[in-house]
Amino acid sequence: MTKRTTSHATFVIERELEHPPAKVFAAYSNQHSKAKWFVGPEEWRQSDHQLDFRVGGNESVSGGPPHGPVHKFNGEYWDIIENERIVIAYEMHMDDTRTSISLGTTEFKSAPTGTRLIYTEQCVFLDGHDNVHDRERGTQDLLNQLETFLSI
Amino acid sequence: MTTIAHATIVMERTYSTSAKRVFAAWSDIEARKRWSAPADNIRIEYEAADFREGGRDVSRCIEPDNADYVATVNYLDVRKDKRIVFAEDVVHGEKRVSAALISVELSPKDGGTHLALTMQIASFDDADMEQGYQFGWSAALDNLAKEFSA
Repeated sequence: MTKRTTSHATFVIERELEHPPAKVFAAYSNQHSKAKWFVGPEEWRQSDHQLDFRVGGNESVSGGPPHGPVHKFNGEYWDIIENERIVIAYEMHMDDTRTSISLGTTEFKSAPTGTRLIYTEQCVFLDGHDNVHDRERGTQDLLNQLETFLSI
Repeated sequence: MTTIAHATIVMERTYSTSAKRVFAAWSDIEARKRWSAPADNIRIEYEAADFREGGRDVSRCIEPDNADYVATVNYLDVRKDKRIVFAEDVVHGEKRVSAALISVELSPKDGGTHLALTMQIASFDDADMEQGYQFGWSAALDNLAKEFSA
């Protein structure tokens, strides 16, 4: 029988982006744009990214290393203010096991050089799976990919 | 300009009853209506109630001389007699004031049941929902004890 445990954590990542808030926001709201950067490492198998960007809409994507477990992301948007704020609650599965649930808020603030992006994630890791260190590193990787996408 | 204030609140209680009865007090909508109202002049009405993994509740917290607080809950992880994790969104009047991730864990303690409630809250635009959660849930968890004293 699985021992049921929860481990709670919060992390914050801030980025200064040399692009206006409307451009950065569009990289989140447009499905074609988001599918380009919101993906795992290149060597991972990828599956369809789905995005229904509206309050109550869902987003999902899955992927994983060759011959490894499938990581599944499934979220629902709870609050959206154009060019200012996005709030999503999402769960992660590793194959069929739910490993975490998170509340992620992204704030887009006007800055002299462009946009100050603040991502805050409040996470619950379930039954000993995953941890905040890896989650934060994975999120840093995604934001690196966002920056690359924006600069092309 | 929009703002978000993030906070985490943990509350713990020990009830002298089984985890089965504590869990039932959450899953039974009539019981929940009784204990979740934080004060005598506040009442809770449900527009939708579907307590199961993947289910959704919509409740209205009605208090005199104030607009209703409407809470939408998505149950994301439900393990009978052990754990409930849900995401919640609160709208006050026309304004969305918060989103929160809430987990409830039940474990045996001193012949009774220990309950740990962890609320990870994102409060919008100076709504000060951290204080709202503090007040509302502290009173509700105290009320919950009365469900087991009868």
